[in-house]
Amino acid sequence: MKNIIEVKNISFKYPEQSEIFKDLSFEIKRGEWTAIIGQNGSGKSTIAKLIDGLYQPMSGEIFVDDLLVNEENINKIHKKIGLVFQNPDDQFVGATVEDDVAFGLENQLMSTDEMHTIVEKSLKSVNMWEYRERVPESLSGGQKQRVAIAGIIALAPQIIILDESTSMLDPLGRKDIIDLIYRLKQELNLTVISITHDIDEAALADRIMILNQGQLVEATDPNDMFSNEDKLLELGLDVPYTVKLMDALRQQGLDVPHRYMDEGELVKWITQLK
Amino acid sequence: MDNTIKIDHLSHLYDDGSNNPVYALKDVTLTIKDNSYVSIIGHTGSGKSTLVQHINALLKPTTGELSVGDFKIEPKTSNKNLKKFRQHVGMVFQFPEKQLFEETVIKDIMFGPLNYGKSESVAEQLALEAMDLVGLDSKLAEKSPFDLSGGQKRRVAMAGVLAMQPEILILDEPTAGLDPKSHREIMDLIYRMHIDRQMTIILVTHQMDDVVQYSDQVVVMDHGEVVKVGNSTEIFNDPQWLIQHQLALPSNAEFAYRLSQAGYQVPGNLDNIWQLAKAIIEVGEVDHE
Amino acid sequence: MIMSNFIFGRYLPGNSWIHKMSPQAKLLISFFFVLVIFLANNLISYAMLIVLILATIVLSGISISFFIKGIRPLLWLIIFTVLLQILFSSGGTPIFKWGIFSITDQSLINGGYIFIRFLLIIMMSTVLMLTTSPLALADGIQTLLKPLKRLHFPVDTLALMLSIALRFVPTLMDETQTIMNAQRARGVDFGSGSIKHRIKVAVPLLIPLFTGAITHAENLSTAMEARGFTDSEHRSKYRIYKWQKRDTISFLVYILVAVLVILVRK
Repeated sequence: MKNIIEVKNISFKYPEQSEIFKDLSFEIKRGEWTAIIGQNGSGKSTIAKLIDGLYQPMSGEIFVDDLLVNEENINKIHKKIGLVFQNPDDQFVGATVEDDVAFGLENQLMSTDEMHTIVEKSLKSVNMWEYRERVPESLSGGQKQRVAIAGIIALAPQIIILDESTSMLDPLGRKDIIDLIYRLKQELNLTVISITHDIDEAALADRIMILNQGQLVEATDPNDMFSNEDKLLELGLDVPYTVKLMDALRQQGLDVPHRYMDEGELVKWITQLK
Repeated sequence: MDNTIKIDHLSHLYDDGSNNPVYALKDVTLTIKDNSYVSIIGHTGSGKSTLVQHINALLKPTTGELSVGDFKIEPKTSNKNLKKFRQHVGMVFQFPEKQLFEETVIKDIMFGPLNYGKSESVAEQLALEAMDLVGLDSKLAEKSPFDLSGGQKRRVAMAGVLAMQPEILILDEPTAGLDPKSHREIMDLIYRMHIDRQMTIILVTHQMDDVVQYSDQVVVMDHGEVVKVGNSTEIFNDPQWLIQHQLALPSNAEFAYRLSQAGYQVPGNLDNIWQLAKAIIEVGEVDHE
Repeated sequence: MIMSNFIFGRYLPGNSWIHKMSPQAKLLISFFFVLVIFLANNLISYAMLIVLILATIVLSGISISFFIKGIRPLLWLIIFTVLLQILFSSGGTPIFKWGIFSITDQSLINGGYIFIRFLLIIMMSTVLMLTTSPLALADGIQTLLKPLKRLHFPVDTLALMLSIALRFVPTLMDETQTIMNAQRARGVDFGSGSIKHRIKVAVPLLIPLFTGAITHAENLSTAMEARGFTDSEHRSKYRIYKWQKRDTISFLVYILVAVLVILVRK
């Protein structure tokens, strides 16, 4: 599969701080779901902002869909990438739901008629159309994140980056947003990068990348990765529930296969015991 | 001193200026035993926060009353008496790091004790103890709280409440937005306060696994009313009912529910993962015989 | 809950004739009405304006209690001004005299007129605020100020700033309430004690509020940039409020009343 993002030898530091990335390189394949995990303060969110051109690396190059991320291409880059941030309140620009979805389209100088069509379509696809006239303070955190996602898909991006987008939501809201992204990924052929602490979100990914001391390495074997509890906590993740349960079953004498299974798979495996 | 919390037919009405005032709490009657660990659950807007703000005397009831030990709050209780009451009941708000304002960590933690009339030196002593409790290095004392990481700020804010030496501690989503490691550390800390210092803990949370793991009593709220009170087994043995009230299931109950949907009935108390594993194995063996 | 005393920003959605008018028309008519108020100078001219505003309120379909609430925060200002007018105006037949104060029949009448003027202005602005969403209001201002664009006045930037500021008012109000509660839980007494004490307790409220606001602003500007925002003067508009027939009709009614006021005034 072709790479949609190529990061080549970049270094980055914030003013008056030491370097977070030195000579960092990695690729993201088109159509894949990649989870990026790492400790607090490891610079996970900085990666998202570098890819979208919101920050400039000190050295090195980033290509998004074969386009170099630089001042000149920045508008095209923003169109290719949709970013969902952590705080639901801080990305709600419009006064109402529909105005917020229209915000990005207004920036594209789209005609009013066309905008109305797209706003309707986008809000319907995140099931927020009935809420179109609502003001942000009357919405839950999860609903605000849905609106943020509608505002992003309205711009028809190829890539969605979730920058800890579910960390401020309650468990139901979290699951809801992840299910939504999963569905949209299929429908719209998106490439998804999720920067997360949430194990369920990470477990959904095709690839997991670990950010450690300024380098990004791919986790090769999910079995190894998900069963090392201390290491997972160190990386800012919890152990998946199924791994804990498989462990408990094993310790009580059941012969459970040594591979990672998600809830659906484990349910299926257990029902075969009868 | 006995710190039993008794809430008797308490209602709270929000008058938002329109002609239809809203009941944030409706006829709540509830007893929370001294030295217990209580979880309050309910979906967003169910009245959890309004209820705990009454226990901390930040709100007064519209009708009904609430008492903690000998102290009673009624609609007509004067605001002057409330401050003394609040000293007994510490409250850690959601995202408490938002309340930090002092130049240094230690000053911020000393703020509460000083407000309640402690001398500088006593307040400093209490602050240092509180820092130790929440696992903050004393080297951070002279740093600006705004230079700390998110998890550290959260601890400073918690220390600011603990330094007041409350006997009842209310926590509203204390681990919201934290990574799993900090989550575990904060939950452990709260449990230690409960065991070592005999604090009554009132936890408002969406994390059902924490509810099962720590609490003696669970209060379920919906539309400003208390709809169910019991221990976690009693609360979580009815998945349909929980889903109806827009509540998540604890991981074990959820998995058992999925198994039952797939035709694999797992009976019994499923409070911990060992019991669930045991039950799964037993069901498998019975069917083989 | 802090908001409940202020009419500003308390938009009540609805479907009335007034709700459906374009914001620029409502703004223009409001300004026009205030000008006409200062033309009125006798009982009959004021009576006409009262009838006009009452008709407007009825057409807006909003309960009169909201208008009374809108007056309440300004009550002391009104009483003070009216008293000044009554006590210090000259001319007319004295009714009562004490030192430098004198009350004449004329000053009583003037005081009464001032009171009515206040009432009319408050009623009109309340209709405007309650029937127009803050967003529409910002758009209305933008439309009215458009001619200034030729003088390179940043009209669109101003409108966008206004709309974002309005959008964050409830968020910041909410945060104020939360921070106040958190500090009260740490033993702070807001709203009592000496001025010195009050200034002192403002610090633990204002610093967290400002740091919070700065964080919001930083995050928001990043989010806006990520959604392709570069410059507020080159954007299209999702909402377009066209001047409608009902705007023209309403304006004509107000002009008609203004002409009548000019005819009947002394």
